[in-house]
Amino acid sequence: MSAERRKLLATGAALGGLSALPGGGAYAAGSDKPEKEEVRIGFIPLTDCASVVMAAALGFDRKHGIKIVPTKEASWAGVRDKLVNGELDLAHVLYGLVYGVHLGVAGPKKDMAVLMTLNNNGQAITLSKKLAEAGAVDAASLTRAMKKEQRDYTFAQTFPTGTHAMWLYYWLAAAGVNPMKDAKVITVPPPQMVANMRVGNMDGFCVGEPWNHRAIIDGIGITAATTQDIWKDHPEKVLGTTGDFVKKYPNTARAVIMAVLEAGRWIDASLSNKQKMAETIADKAYVNTSVDAINQRILGRYQNGLGRTWDDPNYMKFFNDGQVNFPWLSDGMWFLTQHKRWGLIKEHPDYLGVARQVNQIELYKQAAAALGVSVPKETMRSAKFFDGVVWDGKEPAKYADAFKVRA
Amino acid sequence: MRASLWMRLLPPVLGLGLLWLVWFVATLKGGPFPTPGQTWQAAVQLFSDPFYRNGPNDQGIGWNVLNSLQRVGLGFGLAALVGIPLGFVIGRFEFASRMLSPLISLLKPVSPLAWLPIGLLVFKSANPAAIWTIFICSIWPMVVNTAVGVQRVPRDYLNVARVLRLSEWKLVTRILFPAVLPYLLTGVRLSVGTAWLVIVAAEMLTGGVGIGFWVWDEWNNLNVRHILIAIFVIGLVGLLLEAALMALARRFSFDD
Repeated sequence: MSAERRKLLATGAALGGLSALPGGGAYAAGSDKPEKEEVRIGFIPLTDCASVVMAAALGFDRKHGIKIVPTKEASWAGVRDKLVNGELDLAHVLYGLVYGVHLGVAGPKKDMAVLMTLNNNGQAITLSKKLAEAGAVDAASLTRAMKKEQRDYTFAQTFPTGTHAMWLYYWLAAAGVNPMKDAKVITVPPPQMVANMRVGNMDGFCVGEPWNHRAIIDGIGITAATTQDIWKDHPEKVLGTTGDFVKKYPNTARAVIMAVLEAGRWIDASLSNKQKMAETIADKAYVNTSVDAINQRILGRYQNGLGRTWDDPNYMKFFNDGQVNFPWLSDGMWFLTQHKRWGLIKEHPDYLGVARQVNQIELYKQAAAALGVSVPKETMRSAKFFDGVVWDGKEPAKYADAFKVRA
Repeated sequence: MRASLWMRLLPPVLGLGLLWLVWFVATLKGGPFPTPGQTWQAAVQLFSDPFYRNGPNDQGIGWNVLNSLQRVGLGFGLAALVGIPLGFVIGRFEFASRMLSPLISLLKPVSPLAWLPIGLLVFKSANPAAIWTIFICSIWPMVVNTAVGVQRVPRDYLNVARVLRLSEWKLVTRILFPAVLPYLLTGVRLSVGTAWLVIVAAEMLTGGVGIGFWVWDEWNNLNVRHILIAIFVIGLVGLLLEAALMALARRFSFDD
């Protein structure tokens, strides 16, 4: 064999060898090719479904070898049932709901998994115009109004174990109102919250955007508190699925994380991307509302319905350099502490153990590394709530029991 | 001839006109409820392209109605398959009637929304659960009406059968069935009405493509115009279903 021919063959072999390495090609010898190409991801028509929807709309799913089919669902209970019975592969879902199902709180019990957090911030507590006119515009004045006029006060949230219920309870409790004893709290869908407030049957609710802004546009409510004021950069919705799905289809799960992560990164990248996102998700197939109801608050432009407008630096974030999406163990554990606090679970669970089971940190780290997204070194993060109490993931049982106002 | 046609058309047209007038006057001041004019405009836009497909979550109203009708067809078909023979058995055999009547009376008034969670639990999927709900709610009119029809068959017919020593099969197909047919068709008409009612409610809870979920989605957007249009569409389809069955009944009845 001539020297030239040998060199050619050697280079060819080297190149062939390189393509077998993970960096050189999309799928290393077929080892991390997604097992399932089509994934059905359920969502509820809220502003924070954006990263899931945009992952499909912008083709990030195709880039990673999967096809995301976003399917609009009717209710959180419906999402829960379809995740449990497998009709949905994954879903845009409330953080607390996933942990609730994992422990079988007031519903079916099934091993669940949180692949990543979808967004931080962007929810709010709305009080009725009637209450605002009586002087109740924040937690303190609401408590005063409730003491002055003794009657049944009705508040609404989206799901008993969900995020909005926890924000509402925390906010009321910090003002001295026991949501379990001193008020009536019901679970109703967002349009019913708005319709009831319009006719005077609802004193306040906690729900995701665009509903709070819509209450202001319709002139029936005011924003008493944004959830980012309660806990800056709090976790909100997650990409949830069952434990079985992650075990059976790890490559698919990783590909979905990568697609949605890229979509989140795209959304947070610029104002024009955010505007395009608002226009896309306002469409009938997704949130089915007007673009104005969405695009103000995602850009941080807030009005409170009483004439005050401000630019909120802690608007809804989908990426924030990877800080949003990492499945922090302390985030999941916080919801468990609040479930215990409000009597939704009777005994202290193994907080850390459950969080380690549910939050798929290893899978997330792999996905983030493949995209070059920075991953924090810790698995817990610390936060100081608006009432001064600090949650850092250490001693969850003590934290849960230390609250004065509880069930 | 012309006078009678005029008399047939004028009252319903006047009735609709009165409804329109009341609606118009009630919404003159504005407010959240849409005016007839606004609703008409929205309807024109909606029906200009009733069969478009824009992904699985956004399809034309024609597809929504067809999907719902498909579920109704399946649920109602199953109910007829089970309910009509059951009605015959109950009407024919006193023992069966005594055994099953209390059960029927107990289950008859149960709302479809109470049956749906059971369906979801057993079938673990939204579509079969919706069809199960239609089945269990629309079966009762057919069972009860068929049973009553069988019980009302004149004694003379049964005596003739005994004189002629007809087999049970001949008795059922030649004597009972034609005599029971008017009652049976009444039951079927009531069932179809119930089935159509149930599917709208069931779809609101389960999601998917259908007129019920479309109403829920428009409710989620507080788009009252579309909800009103949906009410008309649902009513119209129910009316057409009943009219079709009445035409069928007339074809098979022995009154003329």
